[in-house]
Amino acid sequence: MEGITGQELIKALALLAAGIAMGFGAIGPGIGEGFAAGKACESLGKRPDEANLITRTMLIGQAVSETTGIYSLVVALILIFVV
Amino acid sequence: MEFAKLCSIFAAGLAMGLGAIGSAVGEGFIAMKAVQTMSRQPGSAGKIVRVMLIGQAVTETAAIFALVVSLILMFQDVTGDFVKGFTFIAAGIAIGFGTIGSGFGAGLPGGAACEGIGKQPENADVLTINMLIGQAVSQTATIFSLTIALILIMLEPRSGIVKICSILGAGCAIGFGAIGPGIGDGIVARNANLAIGKDPANMGLLTRTMLIGQAVTETTDIYSMVVSLILIFVI
Repeated sequence: MEGITGQELIKALALLAAGIAMGFGAIGPGIGEGFAAGKACESLGKRPDEANLITRTMLIGQAVSETTGIYSLVVALILIFVV
Repeated sequence: MEFAKLCSIFAAGLAMGLGAIGSAVGEGFIAMKAVQTMSRQPGSAGKIVRVMLIGQAVTETAAIFALVVSLILMFQDVTGDFVKGFTFIAAGIAIGFGTIGSGFGAGLPGGAACEGIGKQPENADVLTINMLIGQAVSQTATIFSLTIALILIMLEPRSGIVKICSILGAGCAIGFGAIGPGIGDGIVARNANLAIGKDPANMGLLTRTMLIGQAVTETTDIYSMVVSLILIFVI
């Protein structure tokens, strides 16, 4: 393991950081989107005639929750391919 | 003892120790809801126990995946250099943390099914079916982790600090990334099951919406898997 250059070390730690960024970044959106869809199911059980409105709102809410997951993905891809 | 074998044994402990957390909590949750419901409706005890045991058996899958990986890591013949050792540690992280979410998530709809049967015992069949669908989908997070863990165990990596870190990064990405979607899928299935327990006539609509919601929840786990595969094969 001797002879590690600074450039190699930066590349190596950037790759490790990419994994950590995507891993921890996926926890929040996963739980958040689950909440949105869970409450949508609960509301559908009470008001099945409003299915279209509830499903639409659920998908919009989940798309917004998803954004932080997409940020993590973008950061991970930058760390992998650009740094 | 050579370094790779040492890492393999360490990773076996990591995989099973962490892998037992989620399933144990999930199964405890089902049993808690079953006992609570029974205290209110002792007449339905037989049906509740049956659903409880089915639900717990499915919740156990996540821990069984961890056990399988742990046994492979313990008893395989390790041949490899310094870098090969890190693939085992990464596999242990991937499956160990990856089972936490699915194990806990699969417990949530099981608890809801027990509650629903307590309210209306004649809905037992519908609730069991929806519980099993919801649990199966929440297991996907663990199945992704298992896939990556097995790929990592069989990988023949080239040497260098860059490859070591990319392998550990791949394990962290899928391991931690599977926690959230696993729990999220469980929350969706739990609420769908509670709603079906109140009014089973809406089952078609609710199961459909549950599956759409779970599919969207699963996307972040798929991002994690893509990042893991890039870190393993492209770098």
